[in-house]
Amino acid sequence: VRCQHYPPLRALQASAALRRASDEHKKEPLTSSSQQHFDPPPAGHQPEQEPQGPRPSYTGQGGQESEDYESEEQLQHRILTAALEFVPEHGWTAEAIAEGAKTLGLSVAAAGMFHSDGSELILHFLSECNAKLSELLEKEQKLVQLGEAEKKPIDEFLRHAVEARLRMLIPYIEKWPQALSVLLLPRNIPSSLNLLTSMIDDIWHYAGDQSTDFNWYTRRAVLTGIYNTTELVMMQDSSPDFEDTWRFLENRVADAMTMSNTASQVQSTGEAVVQGLMGAAVTVSSAETSRAVR
Amino acid sequence: AGGASLRLCSTRVAQEGINKPVIDRIIRVDHAGEYGANRIYAGQMAVLGRSSVGPVIQQMWNQEKDHLKKFNELMVAYRVRPTVLLPFWNVAGFVLGAGSALLGRKGAMACTVAVEESISEHYNNQIRTLIEEDPEKYKELLQVIKQFRDDEQEHHDIGLEHDAEATPAYSVLKTAIQLGCKAAIFLSERI
Repeated sequence: VRCQHYPPLRALQASAALRRASDEHKKEPLTSSSQQHFDPPPAGHQPEQEPQGPRPSYTGQGGQESEDYESEEQLQHRILTAALEFVPEHGWTAEAIAEGAKTLGLSVAAAGMFHSDGSELILHFLSECNAKLSELLEKEQKLVQLGEAEKKPIDEFLRHAVEARLRMLIPYIEKWPQALSVLLLPRNIPSSLNLLTSMIDDIWHYAGDQSTDFNWYTRRAVLTGIYNTTELVMMQDSSPDFEDTWRFLENRVADAMTMSNTASQVQSTGEAVVQGLMGAAVTVSSAETSRAVR
Repeated sequence: AGGASLRLCSTRVAQEGINKPVIDRIIRVDHAGEYGANRIYAGQMAVLGRSSVGPVIQQMWNQEKDHLKKFNELMVAYRVRPTVLLPFWNVAGFVLGAGSALLGRKGAMACTVAVEESISEHYNNQIRTLIEEDPEKYKELLQVIKQFRDDEQEHHDIGLEHDAEATPAYSVLKTAIQLGCKAAIFLSERI
């Protein structure tokens, strides 16, 4: 599965504090973050001042050592996954992350590890969706290779892949417009663009694209356009099971196929015309020559 | 291990544990190079195809076509993006080939010598890079590049045999073309 993980980039101090607290479930740790949406920690608490190395080891307060060392990235991954459940209710916010952390038995201060606009949560969700799509397409490819399934024609395959990917948004559809606007923040654009392009590349790869010329770019650009416009239509669609969206998708894919057929027709017509002109030129010049000779 | 590093994973067996950025670059630039070489020979044939040196150029062109075919396969196998500049190399290569051929057959041979020398050096650099990385892991790729480097070296020698050095302003021409090749390699690796 071709996947990319985007670990959040917050200070390690907060996560180290989180680990101590998670072991005890008693104290509310003070985090270094200034933006909090929940109750401040009880007064009289000592702030965390211990210097942290790049890889704090996970030792419990009671002198116990955890058996599996979990990296910070894995921990953040777990928290974000757990947080997804609360997105329909709280949106892509620190609240959702806090609730997610609570279900894992961690302190709500865990949300301090992440940006308050939910960027990491959204990027995490995107990367999970892409991974799921890759897995699905890989599985279907295997079935085709084993002869257990028919190979779909290109337009049907593209429709199927885009629909499968967009359906993953359905549980979060109410809050997805918010997510799209967060993804357009300059800070997030490199990551979101990266995720988008790798998803489109994956779809074309499994569709059997083997182009090694400029078509490589044309195809991906066209599919990106189809995906983005269909996603926007989906945001505004209120038909049962989004049937309007899938019909829109079908039309766009059909348009793209027509466009590519037309393009190749234009090309072959052009080549035929050129050949015809060359033939005419040769005929005329040999006629001239023979007349001159006479 | 912790830290904010990006983790890339792939289902293709061929891509487990390979240094994707390095291999990407290598295949992308080599593909562009063979594509350009094809266009150069096409340009030369357009002008000199019916001359006495035509068959020689045609034979070298055929070998470049095989090279390009191989890199097309590798590009698909390793899922590498082709360079955006392909349409540009299409035109520039043809113009260079036709232009050098208009200087006469010695000019065409001089162009061949210059280009093939650049390409051989470039392939040698890549061979060094791959050997430094992991000769075992990249055995197939190394074999291909070594073979192609030998072919290009042969073209270079054929060019010399056909009086490339007798071209008027040979060293100026050669330097200019090789500078162009260096720029093309630099750009194709990145975009």
